[in-house]
Amino acid sequence: MASNLNEKIKKLDKQVEWFSSEEFELAQAVEKYKEALELAEEIEEDLKTLKNEIEVIDKDFTKEAGI
Amino acid sequence: MENLTPTEFVAVVNQTLEYAYSSVTLVGEVAEFKVNQGKWVFFNIKDAETSIPCFMTLWNLTVPVEDGMKVVVRGTPKLTKWGKFSFTVTKIAPMGEGALKKAFEILKKKLTDEGLFDVKRKRSIPEDLTRLGVISSVDAAGYADFVEIINARWGGMKVLVAHTQVQGLDAPEQIIRALKYFNENTDVQMIAIIRGGGSRDDLACFNDEALVRAVAASRIPVIAGIGHEIDESLVDLAADVRASTPSNAAEMLTRDRKTEKIREKILMMRQRMMSEINMFQSEVIQKKRLIETLNPERILRQGYAIVKGDFEIGNVVKITTFDKETEAEIKKIKERQ
Repeated sequence: MASNLNEKIKKLDKQVEWFSSEEFELAQAVEKYKEALELAEEIEEDLKTLKNEIEVIDKDFTKEAGI
Repeated sequence: MENLTPTEFVAVVNQTLEYAYSSVTLVGEVAEFKVNQGKWVFFNIKDAETSIPCFMTLWNLTVPVEDGMKVVVRGTPKLTKWGKFSFTVTKIAPMGEGALKKAFEILKKKLTDEGLFDVKRKRSIPEDLTRLGVISSVDAAGYADFVEIINARWGGMKVLVAHTQVQGLDAPEQIIRALKYFNENTDVQMIAIIRGGGSRDDLACFNDEALVRAVAASRIPVIAGIGHEIDESLVDLAADVRASTPSNAAEMLTRDRKTEKIREKILMMRQRMMSEINMFQSEVIQKKRLIETLNPERILRQGYAIVKGDFEIGNVVKITTFDKETEAEIKKIKERQ
């Protein structure tokens, strides 16, 4: 679902942010990098395969002309 | 049919008219337009030879009308109890370039003065758009373009489509009903009103006052993707977001999966790590060099010696040089000057 996809992308962006922030520590970086790499691969897979669900509402919005 | 009373005759004639002409559209020029008691609208619709008196309620008058304007009306013919022929109008719309432009300008001014198009009223496209409502004709090219583009660009959205007419006298009411449906029965985050290019007559329904007001009043934000880039309708002005075309609406509503820079993000993280590692390595090398310069062995190699022991005459001290360890007796001690 796109809400998950959007959430995953937001999570990845946060992880990237950490890498360019002052909180960056080399000791934690390797683990965080591995996590980010896994998440990135999931996102790439989602981007390739996710489709939109399009449904035409089963309701008649027309009205008999002139009445 | 014999010996009918006038009342019976009028009833029979009206029955016949209703059966034979249940819905008629007329095209002609407006004359003697007036509104009585704030609710009853009277005018004639005429051509070069004939003039037909028309009647409608102010409620049904959703476009500005003035004498001289060319209009299309839909209604039913009727004989009144006073023996007069009348045409009861249920729908009216301006027709032709001149009339449409005039009606547009009049209504645009009226609604602008009311503040309906104020920028302060506009809401943005939700950041995390996953549930979209679409109002369009599913048979139209504009709709097909819209769907093709959202499918190419993004996935995982739930899109509910209300199929309506998007031109003609009946279109405004249908679109209003669809707006009402989305607002009252769904949890869509945004409503897109989509219609491809067409003539001024084709797009005239998007200048219907009731429809424009319904768009402005929608609880759910509305994006309008109507016509071509140069076309401007009052629905465009009332909507929260205006797209120049259906395709542009699709682009504004979706991210592009091709440009999601996932790999670049990973690369950026890697670069930061490598940069930190390199800096760390440089620091280590520098410190190593510093330690090297402080290494006693290095000093001994330069020809110096380390002397250990109590410095008193007669005591034995230990002398360490680069390659030897020697013991020596102190014979004499003298202060350096």
